[in-house]
Amino acid sequence: MCGIIGYIGFREARNVLIDCLKRLDYRGYDSAGIGVLQNDIQIFKEVGEIENLERELPLINGNTGIGHTRWATHGKVSVENAHPQTGCNKKIALVHNGIIENFKTLKEELEKKGHKFQSQTDTEVIVHLIDEEYSGNIEDAVYNALKKIKGSYAITVLCKDDPEKIIGARKDSPLVIGVGDNENFIASDITALLKYTNRVIFLEDGELCVITKKSTKVIDENKNEVKRDEELIKWDFRDAEKSGFPHFMLKEIFEQPDAINQTLMGRLSEIEQSIRFHDNVEGLLKENYESIHIVACGTSYYAGMVGKYLIENLTNLPVFIDLASEYRYFGTKNKSSLVIGITQSGETADTLAALKQGKESGCKTLVISNVIGSTATRLANGYILMQSGPEIGVAASKTFTAQIIVLFLIALKIATLKNKIGSDEIYKHILNLKELPRQTREVLDRSNSICEIAKNIKDANTVFFIGRGLNYPLSLEGALKLKEISYIHAEGFAAGELKHGPFALLTSNTPVVAIVTRDSTYDKILANIGEIKARGPKVIALADDKDTEIDKHADMVVRFPSNSQISSCVSVSVILQLLAYHVANLRECPIDKPRNLAKSVTVE
Amino acid sequence: MIFIKAVILAAGEGKRLRPFTETMPKVMIPVANKPLLEYVIDSVKNSGINEIITVVGYKKEVIMEYFRNYEDIEIKYVVQEKQLGTAHALLQTKEYVDDTFIVLSGDNIIDKASISKLINDKPKFSMLIKENPHTSKYGVVLFEKNVLKEIVEKPTEEVGRFISTGIYKFPNSVFDNIEEFSSQGVYDLSTVVQSIVDRGENISTVTANSWMDIVYPWDLIHVNESIIRNNSGSTSGIIEKGVTMKGPVMVGNNTTIYSGSYIVGPVVIGDGCEIGPNACIFPTTTIGNNSVIRPFSQLRNSVVMNDVHIGSNSYISHSVIARGTIIGHNFSNMSGKATMEIEDEYKKLEKIGVMIGENCTIEGSVIVEPGITIGRKCNIGSIKKIVKNIPSESKVM
Amino acid sequence: MKCVVLAAGEGKRMHPLTFTRPKVMLPIANKPLLEWNLLNAIDTGLKDFIFIVSYKSEMVRNYFGNGETWNVNIEYINQGKPLGTGHAIGIVEKFVDDFIVLCGDTIFGKNDIKNIIEKDISIGLVKVEDPREYGIVETKGNEVIKIYEKMSQPFSNVINGGIYHFNKKIFNYIKKTNKSPRGEYEITDSINMLVKDENIKGVFLKSWRDVVYPWHLLDANREIIENINGKSDGLIDKNVTIKDKLIVGDNSKILSGTYLEGPIIIGSNCKIGPNCYIRPYTSIGNNCHVGNACEIKNSIIMDNSNVPHQNYVGDSVIGYNCNLGAGTKIANLRLDKKNIDVVLNEEKIETGRRKLGTLIGDNVQTGINSMLNVGSIVGNNVFIGPGAQVSGEIKPNAKIL
Repeated sequence: MCGIIGYIGFREARNVLIDCLKRLDYRGYDSAGIGVLQNDIQIFKEVGEIENLERELPLINGNTGIGHTRWATHGKVSVENAHPQTGCNKKIALVHNGIIENFKTLKEELEKKGHKFQSQTDTEVIVHLIDEEYSGNIEDAVYNALKKIKGSYAITVLCKDDPEKIIGARKDSPLVIGVGDNENFIASDITALLKYTNRVIFLEDGELCVITKKSTKVIDENKNEVKRDEELIKWDFRDAEKSGFPHFMLKEIFEQPDAINQTLMGRLSEIEQSIRFHDNVEGLLKENYESIHIVACGTSYYAGMVGKYLIENLTNLPVFIDLASEYRYFGTKNKSSLVIGITQSGETADTLAALKQGKESGCKTLVISNVIGSTATRLANGYILMQSGPEIGVAASKTFTAQIIVLFLIALKIATLKNKIGSDEIYKHILNLKELPRQTREVLDRSNSICEIAKNIKDANTVFFIGRGLNYPLSLEGALKLKEISYIHAEGFAAGELKHGPFALLTSNTPVVAIVTRDSTYDKILANIGEIKARGPKVIALADDKDTEIDKHADMVVRFPSNSQISSCVSVSVILQLLAYHVANLRECPIDKPRNLAKSVTVE
Repeated sequence: MIFIKAVILAAGEGKRLRPFTETMPKVMIPVANKPLLEYVIDSVKNSGINEIITVVGYKKEVIMEYFRNYEDIEIKYVVQEKQLGTAHALLQTKEYVDDTFIVLSGDNIIDKASISKLINDKPKFSMLIKENPHTSKYGVVLFEKNVLKEIVEKPTEEVGRFISTGIYKFPNSVFDNIEEFSSQGVYDLSTVVQSIVDRGENISTVTANSWMDIVYPWDLIHVNESIIRNNSGSTSGIIEKGVTMKGPVMVGNNTTIYSGSYIVGPVVIGDGCEIGPNACIFPTTTIGNNSVIRPFSQLRNSVVMNDVHIGSNSYISHSVIARGTIIGHNFSNMSGKATMEIEDEYKKLEKIGVMIGENCTIEGSVIVEPGITIGRKCNIGSIKKIVKNIPSESKVM
Repeated sequence: MKCVVLAAGEGKRMHPLTFTRPKVMLPIANKPLLEWNLLNAIDTGLKDFIFIVSYKSEMVRNYFGNGETWNVNIEYINQGKPLGTGHAIGIVEKFVDDFIVLCGDTIFGKNDIKNIIEKDISIGLVKVEDPREYGIVETKGNEVIKIYEKMSQPFSNVINGGIYHFNKKIFNYIKKTNKSPRGEYEITDSINMLVKDENIKGVFLKSWRDVVYPWHLLDANREIIENINGKSDGLIDKNVTIKDKLIVGDNSKILSGTYLEGPIIIGSNCKIGPNCYIRPYTSIGNNCHVGNACEIKNSIIMDNSNVPHQNYVGDSVIGYNCNLGAGTKIANLRLDKKNIDVVLNEEKIETGRRKLGTLIGDNVQTGINSMLNVGSIVGNNVFIGPGAQVSGEIKPNAKIL
């Protein structure tokens, strides 16, 4: 998503803006720009990486400025469409994150009034609106202009005639104020600011802010000044490097053994045979719920589906799983339900909205996230951190396995609290969890053989993934991974569903990846494989080391070590990640920044 | 303040350290829970150097990943595609070094004062030497009035007491010498150095304070001892009642030491471990992160790496156990005199236990004779007596 | 003339006390170190201050605010990453002309500060007994020739006191300074360049107190308590014995049977006694409770902490929000009476002290009858169980059961 930064203080704005924009780099973007105010507003924009902009940027002076990284939603990628956007006489400059729903109507009206537009963006409309409303007071102008807009926005505005201040505003798009000494910041993301200050003021929807070198002011939608406290961020954003791996994603896939240890650290005791979380999470899980409701998007949704199987299996509690964006329309909001939101970044707009809904309906909320201090963790009654370290690759890898493991820990904890499992079973599960890093390392060792298998998929037009039971959501995730980074169309199916329609699509050019585990689903999935082969496609089976039958059924087999349900989950996930990675690599796709995708989707 | 760069050679595999080097380069083998290379980089950094060029090759991602957040000093990486020799490795850094520099090996632990001595030594060409009783393994230096006369490689008879540490200070003209030999297919640094001496250049010799070399797996045991011997303990984690800790014992975060455990330092225990109840850990033992030592087990003078699981009633001494290995209950290894075979060399040792590679699974009641190497990913069934080496990825059922 | 105060440092050697506060905020005689400096500086007439902050800057800012409590102006600049003294001073270029710089964590005397103000381009110098931890300054008469790095065999015992008088010229030299071997921009390097073009005077400081390790706080505490005066504002019961100086904050109650051998300072809202014994050079913060049968000697107890029942605390520093369980005792003397060594940040350090108790961080709880050995260090949030014994260095968040 777009990233925004605004600075006013004593340092050279140019340097601060470029520095902060680089920290927003991980969000994915296609163009970047900055505007610096000193007498006039000077705008510099470039398509492509921030390094391009930095190279072309002259040493301009000025201690006030705004910057932006753009992820195109309206209008193609071009210098004209990049931000900052300016009004008719370049007196006002603005950067924007969000989508203006009624921009076409507004644009027409403004054009009738004589405004000339340079870009195809919805953003430019906002500047011209402010231009229209401006009659000496920039705060009022922004306030009035925003009243006419429908949609989401986080904006930061510079005004040539009012150089001592910068205005910010937000609605359904994140924006924070960074409070400094003799300087202040506005940003869409705390991580952009951490180098300069750890004090932030969070803006809420509908609010405006005015920052000067020495002061910050928050104004609500009724134009009243709001007193809001500063929050101290204790966070450390560590720069991640690829460290010899060709892609961040590959590095993060290989990080999983260590990441799994991190997720388990401090939570598992083998000798005491116990699972422990923070006191307030323990309190949350102790309560008597009638059901659990998981809400999430994308890969996290699939992790949630796995979680549903795991929790229901161990606790007998009914678990519902909903796409976060759908929860508001359909989810039954029962007060005696625990709502678990899964969001790696803690900022996913749809999941936040679902959590808010749950809260408003009287439910207790628990969040599984990777980012401490994120909106989700502050919103919910309790949170469990995945402790996976920053994930830079846009396609989730280690965070998916971490989410599954946390859900499994929750399942075990609730089962223990409700006496649903005996001490033998708990012990066995704990030992299984402890073995995960080792088994994951074994799977990673087999990366080359997975690459060989990938060669059989790389030229396909469509790949199907099938699984039963726990393996069904894994098949969905496998398909998603392949789609995301190799651009091959892929679909996951519950194996039993193929015959109810999709069979028609099977040809010898549609390889099928089948996830086969030796449990109650085994016989049926073998039968499915037989049915599929009869229609032509090559079948690649993922099967465990001890499976002796599978070679008779599948064309190719990828093996993994397995002695428990949770370990086969994790092993299969890693294999599917590697498979997608190798296919994408063989096809020479830009794995870390896939086209049209961005990390942490903050727009609904 | 001299702005001098350091070149660290870290490209080698370390075949003689198998099975530990099957998944990581030699320089990343952990001693006292830190990779060898980190000790070298720490010393270099603390001696005042602020730029390091590391030559990597074999399994380079392991190195680059580990050091990605390393603070306070800039680390550049140069890849040596084929490991041909030390001089060839050094040659890869030619375009990054434009002045006098020092070169050292990433797997030899050297102290910062010695590095400072080398830097401050006035002559352009300089090297660190050390007195060492086992001269037959190394290059012995013959010198007069602190100027090098000759390096005698692996002498079969007594020629001198001092050996070359392989740590040199060179002006960047040395690259010309290296290239000359390179074109003739000679890639080792000692030959190049000898030629420099023969041409009349003075190479000054400086005695190093403390220098440790790791060649064979059992070296890990006494290097571990040397390093943690001077530790002062510090306690983190949870220490239950009835735990006795004597001497310097380091306990990591989120580690629990259960009642009745008796720990005599110097001992280092990593993060996230569970020790005991009633486990005994004796000097000088290091236990890595996330490892579990179950009740009534005894560890003595051993190196245990991360993610290791040692079952109840086990006895482990003078041994090295690599990452991820799971050992069942009632395991014991004998330690005593043995002859160990590594890469066609035979070494007699006075007291040695067992070397176990990564990710092995050893079931209950297994006994191992002294001086055995068990490879990586081996499976050993229960009630077995192991009397000979077990190659990687084999099963003993 | 502006006074720039360097207050950005973490003070790693002051662990565990600096995990939650910057070094300059460590309390001595119930005021942060930095405040003593500020008061002395204000006494010389300085009115405009710039505090360069970074580590836990909010603690400094929340306490000092904009300076109105002392009728002065205080501004803040955030240094961000700790890039060294040179970098810190370099940031204020736009804000100053002729200015003084002083290290916030060293206490300078009022007369010395005045001397430095009067001598254009000067450095404060100090003669110390053991100069090995400091940068040596080579002088010729009054002039500074060169400032050297820490050396193991110093040729002189004159060290850099950490107080300077500069004018705008220094900024050119700061811009030309390269990173030192430890990766920072040092003002001493800039000064070594400046000295080639300008005369820099060396001014010997008469009163100078540096604190490096936590136990130095006890010495600083002693020196300052001896020299300050204050009121006894609290409610003091009849049968309380007070010898020598006692300073008590308002609303504090001192109950019957308490025996106070001053000089002692007690903060506000405290409950002291009944029947406790407090001996000289003890500072007790605000909202503290020292209860029955407790004895405290030569110690610093920070705000909100309790020494509530049957405890002995000697030669110790106890952080914020701690609670000693009934019967918890701190040993401060070895049985063989030898000097005490401490393990700090995993290194053994000789303190040179015959008596040293425990250095305790914040939020530490001890169970009943627990025992803390000489020279032990207890990190923040540590839980020490009933009857437990503590020695050596205990890292934050550990539990000793």
